[in-house]
Amino acid sequence: MIVRLVQRIGILLASLAVSSVLVFAFMAVLPGDPARVALGTSASDSAVAQLREQFGLDRPLVAQYLHWIHGLLTFDPGNSYISQAPIGPQLADRLQVTLWLVGTGMVIACVLALPMGTLMAVRHRKPSGLVLSALSQVGVAIPAFLAGILLITVFAVGLGWLPANGWTPPVQDPVLFLKQLLMPALSLGIVQAAVLTRYVRSAVLDVLREDYLRTARAKGLRPTRALLRHGLRNAAVPVVTVLALQLATLLVGSVVIERVFVIPGLGSLLLDSVANRDLIVVQDVVMIIAMAVLLVNFLVDLVYLLIDPRLRGGAS
Amino acid sequence: MRHDGRPTRGTGAVAATLACLLLASCSAGSTATGSTGKNSLNIGLTAEPANFDFTRTEGAAIPQALLYNVYETLVKLDQSGKIRPQLATSWSLSKDRRTYTFHLVKNATFSNGARFTAEDAKFSIERVTTDWTLVQKTQMDVVDAVRAVSPTELEVTLKRPSNDWLYRMTTRVGAMFSRTGVGKLATEPVGTGPYAVKNWNRGDSITLARRHGYWGRTPHFASVTLKYFKDPTAMNNALLTGTINVIGQMQSPESLYRFQNNSKYKVIEGTTNGEVVLSLNNGSGPMKNRKARQAVRYAIDHKALMDTCWAGRGKLIGSMVPPTDPWYQNLTDLYRYDRDKAKKLLEESGEAGRTLRLRIPTLPYATACGTVVKSQLEQAGFKVKLDQLEFPAAWLTTVFKNADYDMSIIGHVEPRDMQTVFGNEKSYIRYDNPEFRALLAKADQGTREQQITDMRAAARLVSKDAAADWLFLLPNLMVADEDITGLPVNSVSESLDLTGLGRS
Amino acid sequence: MSAPEREATVASAVPAGRRRRRPVTGSLLVGGLVVAIVIGMALLSFVWTPHDPTLVDPSVRLREPSPDYWFGTDKFGRDVFSQILMGSRTTLFVGFVAVGVAAVVGVPLGIVAGMAPRWFGELLMRGNDLLLAFPALLLAIMFAAVYGAGTLVAMIAIGIASIPHFARLIRGGTLQVMETEYVTAARAAGRGPFAIAVRHVLPNVTSLVIVQASVGFAIAVLAEAALSFLGFGTPPPTPSWGRMLQESQELLSIAPRLAVFPGVAIAVAVLGFNLLGDGLRDRFDPKLEDRR
Repeated sequence: MIVRLVQRIGILLASLAVSSVLVFAFMAVLPGDPARVALGTSASDSAVAQLREQFGLDRPLVAQYLHWIHGLLTFDPGNSYISQAPIGPQLADRLQVTLWLVGTGMVIACVLALPMGTLMAVRHRKPSGLVLSALSQVGVAIPAFLAGILLITVFAVGLGWLPANGWTPPVQDPVLFLKQLLMPALSLGIVQAAVLTRYVRSAVLDVLREDYLRTARAKGLRPTRALLRHGLRNAAVPVVTVLALQLATLLVGSVVIERVFVIPGLGSLLLDSVANRDLIVVQDVVMIIAMAVLLVNFLVDLVYLLIDPRLRGGAS
Repeated sequence: MRHDGRPTRGTGAVAATLACLLLASCSAGSTATGSTGKNSLNIGLTAEPANFDFTRTEGAAIPQALLYNVYETLVKLDQSGKIRPQLATSWSLSKDRRTYTFHLVKNATFSNGARFTAEDAKFSIERVTTDWTLVQKTQMDVVDAVRAVSPTELEVTLKRPSNDWLYRMTTRVGAMFSRTGVGKLATEPVGTGPYAVKNWNRGDSITLARRHGYWGRTPHFASVTLKYFKDPTAMNNALLTGTINVIGQMQSPESLYRFQNNSKYKVIEGTTNGEVVLSLNNGSGPMKNRKARQAVRYAIDHKALMDTCWAGRGKLIGSMVPPTDPWYQNLTDLYRYDRDKAKKLLEESGEAGRTLRLRIPTLPYATACGTVVKSQLEQAGFKVKLDQLEFPAAWLTTVFKNADYDMSIIGHVEPRDMQTVFGNEKSYIRYDNPEFRALLAKADQGTREQQITDMRAAARLVSKDAAADWLFLLPNLMVADEDITGLPVNSVSESLDLTGLGRS
Repeated sequence: MSAPEREATVASAVPAGRRRRRPVTGSLLVGGLVVAIVIGMALLSFVWTPHDPTLVDPSVRLREPSPDYWFGTDKFGRDVFSQILMGSRTTLFVGFVAVGVAAVVGVPLGIVAGMAPRWFGELLMRGNDLLLAFPALLLAIMFAAVYGAGTLVAMIAIGIASIPHFARLIRGGTLQVMETEYVTAARAAGRGPFAIAVRHVLPNVTSLVIVQASVGFAIAVLAEAALSFLGFGTPPPTPSWGRMLQESQELLSIAPRLAVFPGVAIAVAVLGFNLLGDGLRDRFDPKLEDRR
C-alpha cells in the first residue's frame, strides 16, 4: 500500500514536470512577439528590445523556464505582459469562478445521472428504460453551448425568469449568484449527465450479472434492494474513472459556456490571453488545467486503492 | 462511506467544494450589475482595454474608456466636432500661426491630490515625444518648445504652422498627466477628470466612480460600469434582461429589430470615424497593380454589401473622410459598381490568374464583410482565398506589421486617420505617393480654406488611385433604456464621453 | 498488480449495452442509416446542390422556406439547404482527420504497449496518460493560436487529444489477445512479434478500433461545432454546421430556423455516430468478452 502510494506520487510529480516542459515549449513556438504586441505595431525596435529585456524574453529559454516554474511554485507568477497587473490574484479569482461552475455542473450531472443510469439498468428491458436510454443518447448529441443558447432564449429572453448572463460572487449577492449560476451550470451539467448516465447504466448492468447478485436475488431480495445492498460499490469503480475523465471535459467545456454566458472564469481568461498573446497567462492557465487533470487522476488512483480491495494487494 | 455509491458522487463535488473553501478568502471577480439604481449606469462595450496605458498600448479601447472621463485635455471635441475649452479656458494663436498661448483653469486637481498647473501640461506634451511608443506620438513632433509662463499660462511654439496640432490636442496625445502620477499608468491612471477608476474586473468590466472635488461640472451618474462583451448577442440579451442600460456599440445591427418599435428602448443612429476599409497591399503582390486595384473597386457593390453584412446601417463614403470632418465630400461616384468593367480591367491588368489572399481579423464586421467581398470578387472573375487571423495579435503581426497580405478588412476608427494610413509609405497599405503626401503637408500648414481644399484633393487622389476600397462607414449605433439622456448622435472623438449622460 | 486490472475496467467502463443476447440491435440499424445519410449528402453535394452554397445574393436574403429554397436563406442570401448539404462534407472531413490521426498513432502505440515487456508498456501508457492532461478543446485552441484557425489544424489537435483513448483501449484488447492459446501457439512456432501483431493482434482489435472510431467521429463533430462557435473552427465561407449555428445567433428571434437546421443536423449526426458505435460494440463484443 505504502509502496503503491509512493509510486503514484512519483508518477504524479514526473507527469507534472513533463507537462510543464511541454507547455513551455509550445508557448516558445507561438508566433507573435509579446513585447511587440504589448507596445503596438509602430513601436521602435529599441523600445521593443527594452521591453523584451524587462519581460526577460531575451534570456535563454532554460532560464526563462526556470523563472516561470519558480514563480508558479512560490505562488507568485509575476505580472502579465499586457495588463501589467499581477497574475496571481487574477488566476485565483478566475479559478474560483470556474470551480463553482464546474463543481455545480458536476453535482447536477451526478444527481441526474446516478439514479437515471441505475434505473435504466434495472429496467433495461422495459419501455421506460428504453425511453430513458434514447433520451440520454439525444442529450449526448447536443453541444453544450447550444443547450446554453436555448436556455437563454427560453428562460432569460423569453420568460424573463433569469438574467441572460453575467456573474456575481456569492458573498456579494447570494441570490443573484445562484440565479446567474443556474443556467450555465445546467448547460454543462445536462450534457455531462447524458454521458455519465450511459456509463452508470453499463456499470450497473455489469454488476447485475455478477454471481453474488444473482445469489442475493435468488435468496429473495428484490433487484433494487440487492443492488443497493451489494452492487453499487462495485459499479462505482468504473464510474469514478469516468467522472475523473469528465472533469477535464467539464473544465474545458466551461471555456465555451463562459463565452456564452459572459462569465469571467479561467476559460475566458484563456481566450483573451491567447488573443492578446499574453503568453505568460496562457502558459499559467494551460498549466493549471493540466495540473487539475493530473491531480484528479492521481486522486482517482488513490480512491481505487481504497475502494477496491482487489487493487490493494501486490498481485491480483 | 464505503458501502454504497456515495464515494462516486462525492469525488467531484467534494473536490470542488474544498477548492472553493480554500479560495473563499480571495475576492472573486464580480460582474455585479444588479444595482441599476438611479445614480449608476451600466454600458455594454465590445473591446476591453488591454491595460490603462494608452501611451504605450495601442488600440481604441483605452481612450474610449478614459479620455474626457478620467484624463482631460486642454481642449476637447464637443458632440458636433467643434474644439471647445476644457482644461484651457481660452487660447490664442500668434500672427505667424506658430505659437499657441493657453490660459488654464485654476482649481483643477489630479486624482492623486496634486494640483494641475502649466508645468504638468508642459510635462505631458514633452513626454509624448520622449516616452510614448505609439504611432500617434509623431503628432507632437511638430512641437518646438513648451514653456510654462505661469501656473495658469502655457505657451507652445510649433516648428511650423499646423492646423492639425490643435485638433490632436483633443485626442489621447493631448491628455494631461500628473508629474507625480505616471508611475503605474498601466494599472493606476491618474487624471484630472470627473471620474476615477474604482475597480477593474479584468475580462469583464471597469467601474468608474465620480470624484469628489472635481473642478468642473459634476456629472449626473455617481458610478458608471463599462461592461465588455465578446459576443454581440450576449450584449443584446444583457440589455433585454436589464443587466446593462446602454449598448455603446451595436455589433449586430441585424438584431436591431429587437429594440425598435419598443417604447422601453431608444435607438440612436449616427456616424462615426470608423471607415471599414478593404485594405489593398500597394507594395507587393497582385494588388501592386493599379488596374487590378481598380478592378477590385469596380467589382464591389457597396450598397448590397452594406445591406447584407451590416443590415444596411452605415454610410457609403468612397474615401477616407467621414461626414463629420469639414472636408467631407461624397466620393461614392468615383468607382460605381460595374462588374463588366471590373472583369475587363482585371483582364487588362494581367493578374487574373493569381489568387488573392484576403486575410481578415476575427471581428464581427470583418467576418461578415469578408464573406460578401469574396463572393462579389469571385463573381467578377477574381480568385480569392479567405484567411481568418485572430484579432488582435495574429492580425496585427501578419497584416499590420509585416504586410503579409493582399487584401484585408479593418475598421480604421481613429479620427482623421488619412495621414497615418495612407500618408506614410511604411504603413501596412504601402501606399507611396509623394503628390499625396505633399497635399497633406500643404493642408496642414495653410489657412483653414486651403486646408479644406487640399484635404479634399488628397481624399479624391487616394480614392482615384484605388489605394484601398472603402466599404462603408461604421454607424454610431447605440441602444439604451428609454430614460437615458445625452447620448451622442455622432461619435466624433476617441472618447465615450460620459460627462453629458443623464437620466430623465 | 493493479495496472492491467485497471485497464480492463477502463475498457469495460465504455458503455457496453446489452452484450450477449441480441447482437443486432436497433442502435446499429438507426446509427448505420443516419451515417449513410450523412455520407450520401456529402457525396450528393459533389454533383448537385440546389444553389451555390457560398453565393452571396442580397436580393433574396432571409427568405422563408419555399419550393425554391427548401430551408430558406440566411442573411447573406445563401441557400441554407445547400449549405447543410455542403456542410456534411466538412463534418465528415472533420471526423476522418481527427479519427485518422488518433487511430494512426493510437493503435500502433496501444499494440506495442500491450506486447512490449510490462515495464515498457507501463511507461508508454504513462506518457499516454500525460496527453489526457491536455483536453481536446484546449489543445485545439493552442494549435489555433500557433498555426491559425482552420478546420485541418483544429482536427489534428482533436485527433492528438483522442490518441490516449485509442491507445488505452487497444492496449487492453492486445493484452487479452496475447493471453489466448493461438498467440501462445504462434510464439511457440517461432513467429516474431511483428508477425504476431499483424496476423493475430490487429485483426482481433479491429472491432475495438471501429467502435472507438465511430465514437471519435461523434466527438470530433461536437468539437468542430464548439470551436467554430469560439471562432477557432472552420473559417468562412466554407459551409460548416458549427459555423452556421454560430452565425444564426444574432437572428435567433426572427429566424430561428437558421439555428434549427444546423443544430438538428449536428445533433442527428452525432447521435448517428454514437448509435452506430454502440450497435457495433454490441455486435463485436462477444469475441473479446468470452475470453474475459
